[in-house]
Amino acid sequence: MALLTVSKVEKSFNQNKVLKKIDFQISKGEVIVIIGPSGSGKTTFISSLNFLNKADSGKMTFKDKQINLASPKKDDVLWVRRHIAMVFQNYNLFKNKTAVENITEGLIYGRGLSKEAAFKKAVQELKKVGLEEKKDYYPSQLSGGQKQRIGIARATALQPDIILFDEPTSALDPELVGTVVRDMDKLAQQGQTMIIVTHLMSFARKVATKVLFFDDGQILESGSPDQIFEHPQNKRTQAFLSAIAEDR
Amino acid sequence: MSFSKIIISLLSGLPNTLTLLVFSFIFSSLIGILVAWLSLQKDKVSRGIARVYTGLVRGTPPLLMLLLTYYGLPKLLSFIGIDSNQWAKIFFGIFGLSVGWGGYLAEAFRSAYLSVDKGQILAAYSVGMTDQAAFKEITLPQTFSIAIPNIENLLIGLLKATSLVYVIGLADMYQNATSLSNVNQGVFQLQIFVILAFIYWVIALGIEWFFRDYRRRYVHLNG
Repeated sequence: MALLTVSKVEKSFNQNKVLKKIDFQISKGEVIVIIGPSGSGKTTFISSLNFLNKADSGKMTFKDKQINLASPKKDDVLWVRRHIAMVFQNYNLFKNKTAVENITEGLIYGRGLSKEAAFKKAVQELKKVGLEEKKDYYPSQLSGGQKQRIGIARATALQPDIILFDEPTSALDPELVGTVVRDMDKLAQQGQTMIIVTHLMSFARKVATKVLFFDDGQILESGSPDQIFEHPQNKRTQAFLSAIAEDR
Repeated sequence: MSFSKIIISLLSGLPNTLTLLVFSFIFSSLIGILVAWLSLQKDKVSRGIARVYTGLVRGTPPLLMLLLTYYGLPKLLSFIGIDSNQWAKIFFGIFGLSVGWGGYLAEAFRSAYLSVDKGQILAAYSVGMTDQAAFKEITLPQTFSIAIPNIENLLIGLLKATSLVYVIGLADMYQNATSLSNVNQGVFQLQIFVILAFIYWVIALGIEWFFRDYRRRYVHLNG
């Protein structure tokens, strides 16, 4: 049974329709990777799932609760955000907080943990990504790869039902991509439900249970990694994949 | 006239200078925060009030602001039955400077608030923080630290503006310097004003030192 279903999601910026009646669902343990050209609506779509971007219309069913995407109740928005975490392209670590505080904020305000319990949990999460010794560092003192791994630790600390990844490696230097990908791969092995927007096709192939190809605000094609990467049916998918073939 | 006599005479105005500086800074900051908040509201009336206030006070010389306060405020207060004739002059000095500097501080706070990276607020929401928690933990501290260099400049400007209170007959360091110079028929004028400049410079250095500490603490925000 689906953990999250959204239907007929629409979004426009001025006259420009960026999401056109999108239907989507994900079940527990699935890793759905969204690929597609820049400007196709991938980021807008995943950020509408935790209301960082408010859709113009559409319905969501999450953990059996129905929510109107265009006019959600404030409590529902908070509830969803506390169960669907996000990892950003530009990390968005809180600049005025240390690495460990970046993780405790969500645990204290989102999960209602005490400061002590949040600190303990945050240190554990940092340990998991091998950055325990950086706990008192500010984001400006960390490398891009370290920042993103703390971004991932911030998300996983909340023990969310789903984690959204918005091009988590796009802002990284090539030699730092591997460490972040390894952390994500580990999460997938552990059964974490994830929705990942990425341009890393080899990673998509390895980790995805399902791949969606986005173009012009629509899902043009979806299927298993094998189907999409080996036998794409849609011409746009074929053109997109051949254009970025060198990454495969 | 001896060097020490000049210093003692000038420093006798220091308490007034510092009182004006500290209280005007506190009140102008409060006005600045309020006006910045008004200017960031969605409704036109609030924004209009903020715009008119900021425009007026920024377009009025501080000297004139002090004169308007000294002569105008008692008249305004008398309309509502308050007699301010016995009030100390320093009150009017603080009032005039606070109203004048409030406009500048409002702009410093407003621009700093708008400079906070929107991604920071999105990240706060994404971990389940409420609007209030995101404001308290993320937006406010970052606004403050972005505003610091501007605030420091404005505080040093305010220090210099305190020397204008001579127009309402308040005895600050500058007023004492001119009196001392006049009493001596201008013979020691240069020495007096050089020493006065030195004292202002030392206070300005103190302000810079205070903010240098803050800047060091917040340097990581620029990374």
